[in-house]
Amino acid sequence: MPVKCSHLILDACCVLNFSASGSFLPILKALSAQVVVTQVVRERELLSLRRLTDTNHDDKNMFEAAIAEGLLLVEDFANDREEETFVNYASELGDDGESATCAIAVHREWAIATDDRKAISFFQREAPHLQILSSLEIIKHWAEVSTVSSAELRSALSNIRTRGRYAPHRNHPLLSWWQDLIE
Amino acid sequence: MTPTNVLDGIDPQRLGDLLQQARKKMGMTQADAAKVIDAARTTLVAIEKGERRLKPNELIKLARAYGRSISDFVRPTPAIEPFEVQFRSVYQRHDEQEGEINLVIHHFEQLCRNYLELEQIMGAPMARNYPPEYRCDTLPLEAAAESIALAERQRLGLGDSPLPLLRDILELNVGIRVFYLEMPTKYAEIYSYDPQLGACMAINQHHCEERRRWSMAHGYLHFLAHRRKPVLDFDGQYQRRPESERLAEAFPKYFLMPTSGLLRRFTDMSSAHGKFTTTNLFTLANYYGVSIEALAYRMEGMGLLPTGTWDRLRDRGIKVRKVQLDLGLQETVHRPDQLPVHYQHLAIDALEQGKITEGRFADFLEVDRLEARRIAEALRSHSVAMDHESMGLDLRPV
Repeated sequence: MPVKCSHLILDACCVLNFSASGSFLPILKALSAQVVVTQVVRERELLSLRRLTDTNHDDKNMFEAAIAEGLLLVEDFANDREEETFVNYASELGDDGESATCAIAVHREWAIATDDRKAISFFQREAPHLQILSSLEIIKHWAEVSTVSSAELRSALSNIRTRGRYAPHRNHPLLSWWQDLIE
Repeated sequence: MTPTNVLDGIDPQRLGDLLQQARKKMGMTQADAAKVIDAARTTLVAIEKGERRLKPNELIKLARAYGRSISDFVRPTPAIEPFEVQFRSVYQRHDEQEGEINLVIHHFEQLCRNYLELEQIMGAPMARNYPPEYRCDTLPLEAAAESIALAERQRLGLGDSPLPLLRDILELNVGIRVFYLEMPTKYAEIYSYDPQLGACMAINQHHCEERRRWSMAHGYLHFLAHRRKPVLDFDGQYQRRPESERLAEAFPKYFLMPTSGLLRRFTDMSSAHGKFTTTNLFTLANYYGVSIEALAYRMEGMGLLPTGTWDRLRDRGIKVRKVQLDLGLQETVHRPDQLPVHYQHLAIDALEQGKITEGRFADFLEVDRLEARRIAEALRSHSVAMDHESMGLDLRPV
């Protein structure tokens, strides 16, 4: 799963999933592209990340630590065109986080990481030439390039399932891979 | 492809109104807001009046300053008459109430608008089973209240049994939007009617379920007899109650505790024990899902208990909750959710079918993303026995 662009921009679903996994930093480190999150997502998802934090997993701090280490860049709109596109997308998607992620990705020709079905279909329509990745593809890639033990991988997926309350959709291409590992 | 600039196609007057509401909610002056976009106060005045179009950059800055989403301002939403307009006449009589309940009414309006938006997204408008408005000017008030209660029970096929699932009956059998909202304790219920939305009710979430059921029945009478009149029901509202209000106050006892059923159960209990005891009173109140006080007054009114029975029990310092616990009486069955069940199902269907994003789903449910996932999981588990295709099958005969 090579990332075909210089940057990969994460949406809120992926941020939450990676945070819940307990392996946020290793997952980011395994990616060849610079990983980015929008300022809008950072502001809006803090509450979820704070709720995710418990005594054993300091997920919000991992998120902030990734930013501090430069593993995760926070990007805001750089010009009027990006802002205009963001507002246009928000009117259609009704979701500021996905709209900001899509607008920046489209203008800068960056790959996007999302599990959101509505956002995926919107993004495919607006920028069919850009690469779209899912949380599971990125985690699978991490497991492969970093030679993660099966116990560690199972633990990360299990955390995403129980703490992040995420499960792939019934038509997800990696559903059987997920099921084999988690069940 | 998405158009060049969506702001060019939005009604500037409506956008200005929304921005003004958001600014006021944040307690910012026009001068404060003008500074946010590096403009003169007169520019902001023009924007809020809809006389000057906003640039995307200005909208983003204002939305951030007001702590709001951009999509709150630019997303197409169903046009309904602002509740503020409906309730203006109510406020005129009760100025001091306006301040304390205004935010609740705005919240109520937002939820009703969301509901309509979900129906439009899913192409599934709420089915309405509304009777014509009842005329009640020919009968004495108590007789009118009982007659309407009987007619409605008959229309809805409810017999004379207790109504443990009153909220579901109003939502699913009649088509009224019922929300349980946080509001100051002295408020019991807000009732509103809009031709597009139909009837909507907000019930005080802080009250016990018996009281909430009473408030729902009270609001239901307003729907049945004074449909288009908005109602704000709170303690100490009237020095002299108007007839419409006295009718609404008389209605719940007949609707929740119909004479025939209550009489039958009273007779059964009395003949089984040779007397009707305080324990019987508690058991029966629990059975009907009403307070002991409401049942005692109802039975006093029917001549089944001596006048003053409840007053004597109360003066003896009876501890209602303790007695209920001692008797092992379960709390009245109810669904405490803030949002109507149909609203929640529309939201999960929209998410499942990829018609809304997860973030928008969380917004509809007014929770953060993690909680939204938990709720989605719970809602999905209700339909776990069905596969995706069969959910949408038309089960009617060909």
